[in-house]
Amino acid sequence: MFTLFCASSTFVPPLLLAALVDRVPGIFFGLPLMALASLIFAATHHEDPAEIRFAAVHWAVWLGGILGLVLAAVLLLGWFA
Amino acid sequence: MAYARGKQDQASRIVAVSPDDGAVIDLRNPALAALLSWAVPGLGQIYQGRLFKGRLFMGAILGTFLAGMWLGGGKVVYASWKPGDTRWPFVCQAGAGLVALPAVVQSWQLNGVARQPLFGSPFMAPPLVAGQYVSRAYADRLAASDPDIDAEDFFDRPPLKQFRGEQVSHWHRRLGRWFDIGTLYTMLAGMLNVLVIYDAWAGPLGAPTDDDRKAKQERKT
Repeated sequence: MFTLFCASSTFVPPLLLAALVDRVPGIFFGLPLMALASLIFAATHHEDPAEIRFAAVHWAVWLGGILGLVLAAVLLLGWFA
Repeated sequence: MAYARGKQDQASRIVAVSPDDGAVIDLRNPALAALLSWAVPGLGQIYQGRLFKGRLFMGAILGTFLAGMWLGGGKVVYASWKPGDTRWPFVCQAGAGLVALPAVVQSWQLNGVARQPLFGSPFMAPPLVAGQYVSRAYADRLAASDPDIDAEDFFDRPPLKQFRGEQVSHWHRRLGRWFDIGTLYTMLAGMLNVLVIYDAWAGPLGAPTDDDRKAKQERKT
């Protein structure tokens, strides 16, 4: 993600980038954090790069699933309230 | 889990065992590795010769921390223990290591005899609170460079100046949700580095179960 930021900062004027980022709903900023947590969890449980990649996807699916369920429950509660 | 944690082999090395292939991981000096991993995420693993993981941790943790700083306009990492503005997130941010250390230095400087951050730079300096005394040079610099502060925001109290406002309120008003998002990014980077520190100290977490071995075997075939 940092590489992406650096690359985009190099090629896109910072003000334009800030304007683009400003249009992204806040909830999407949780996705990189979920990816980061999955990657770190996986890498601290394995040594082999292939195993780390596989476990990172595994953790991301679990985290995404659980957080998605929580989000769905909150949205449903909000809808019925 | 470092299966061989506490055990020392014939060469008096402290080792862990890889949960993937059972290979022995030389932890070298685990305390030093843990300290290095706190100072610079992943450096402890690099010191142990685990280059892939070291680079991975360094890029992921530092990248997220710096992305959080960028999203939060450079204002989200500061140390403050004043009543009414206790910055608890810094406890988590400090886990990211030396990259968060300037915040401690700036806090000491601003609240110490100098009454101004190091080199008079507001970088990672805690926000001024109502009634706080600062050096005249720092007050003038803030009035000139901070769009939310002007000279009238300070009482003249020779040889110092006294702030009359809440700088953190300016930051919240200007940055809005980015202050919280940036804080979250930097906090999570610091908290996840605790796992990285443990990995440097004791090797990979978690013993492989029979199911893990079976699943791995199936993936290979």
